[in-house]
Amino acid sequence: MNGYNFAYLDEQTKRMIRRALLKAVAIPGYQVPFGGREMPMPYGWGTGGMQLTASILGADDVLKVIDQGADDTTNAVSIRAFFERVAGVETTTATAAADVIQTRHRIPETPLEPGQILVFQVPIPEPLRFIEPSEQETRLMHALEEYGVMHVKLYEDIARYGHIATTYAYPVKVDGRYVTDPSPIPKFDNPKLHMSDALMLFGAGREKRLYAIPPHTRVESLDFEDHPFEIQAWDEHCALCGSDHSFLDEVITDDVGSRMFVCSDTDYCLLRRGEVA
Amino acid sequence: MLWPAFNDPVHDSQRLFRQLLQAMAEPGTLEMPRAPEPPREASIGPALWGALLTLCDLDTPLWIASELDSPALREALRFHTGCPITEDSAAAEFALLTSNSLAQGIDFSIGSDAYPNRSITLLIALEHLEASGPWQLSGPGIADRRHLDIGEADGLMARLGANRASFPRGMDAILTCNDRLVAIPRSTRVERTDQEVRPCMSP
Ligand SMILES: [Zn+2]
Repeated sequence: MNGYNFAYLDEQTKRMIRRALLKAVAIPGYQVPFGGREMPMPYGWGTGGMQLTASILGADDVLKVIDQGADDTTNAVSIRAFFERVAGVETTTATAAADVIQTRHRIPETPLEPGQILVFQVPIPEPLRFIEPSEQETRLMHALEEYGVMHVKLYEDIARYGHIATTYAYPVKVDGRYVTDPSPIPKFDNPKLHMSDALMLFGAGREKRLYAIPPHTRVESLDFEDHPFEIQAWDEHCALCGSDHSFLDEVITDDVGSRMFVCSDTDYCLLRRGEVA
Repeated sequence: MLWPAFNDPVHDSQRLFRQLLQAMAEPGTLEMPRAPEPPREASIGPALWGALLTLCDLDTPLWIASELDSPALREALRFHTGCPITEDSAAAEFALLTSNSLAQGIDFSIGSDAYPNRSITLLIALEHLEASGPWQLSGPGIADRRHLDIGEADGLMARLGANRASFPRGMDAILTCNDRLVAIPRSTRVERTDQEVRPCMSP
């Protein structure tokens, strides 16, 4: 296939990542180090997610790639074209038709099904990193379950703003044990991590870490009794499909600053418009 | 006689890996991988052989219990995977064993609190494996609960059940019987329920 290995990575690298994935699934939310390979794209383009996708993808799989909910951004189009070329797989924009979905910054609105695998591109896998820069220290904090600092940080938000200001990459606790970064998804998507029907895999290319949330696993967003976790809500409906329950993006529609709110999940929005029409 | 390997190593091992991943993600569900059949006199079946072909290579020291060991198996592993075979169970990444092997108190790595992933994966050959029976599984990957019957293997299940006490350190297991396999990762809660007759819940 044009001189490439199937799905780009050599078999030994895939086996190494596959073994790491099995450990990640066995220890939900724990970050497994792996000997990542260079991908033919720069960091920040989802090389961690791409290495996981390359290691799990089969010739019969149908692949979907989204970036901020959209299938047609440069990042999503490049990754989709890459796997079409190096694995010859069929691709789709329809969430329900995909076996593997690689994503940056969103979980699809259409509920995932058993057997589907969602692969997240992760820039910073360590949720404690902004509190503690040392890898050795954060590893120790995870080992000892010393997560008090995370609550302190969230509580400082409350003291300062009257509410928890974190809206993206909102930390979760997986199966009551590991505090985990769900990648920069909006906290709107956090409830979809809890007891999902689908397997969720997370890959960080620069830091060479991968982790997993199995299906049917308890995932709680960190909060406080007097300040329970809440997701974003909008007064507006989607201007295109009328949805009152999707994550909405505000877009500027002309050069005089007119604005409207539309679903960030373009496939979901199109699906709804098709059904309404 | 040389043992057979995958016809199409790239795609066959990918398919088998996805079944292993699915088994690990949904503990207690039976997978039936398509894998080459070892010779009739072999001590292990196709599911276990397929798992070895999929996971093992030069980087994965393998420990083999004496009751499964044979020159033919070693030759097949050397030829098809190249994995080093170690006598030091504590240094092994994979272990090939039966449900009785664990009763002998073998020392396997369960990882450290900082690196719990540096731990053994048990690859177990069973005489019996059914997705119903006295062993009740719950935890991540299991919506409610699942059940298993693995024959006479109380020692094995006791050892896997002890994973919860050492979590996140622990051992992960892939249980096989002929052409079937099931996984019990360390996150799974294992209990014996002794429910010979399960009450029918529906009217
Ligand atoms: Zn919409």
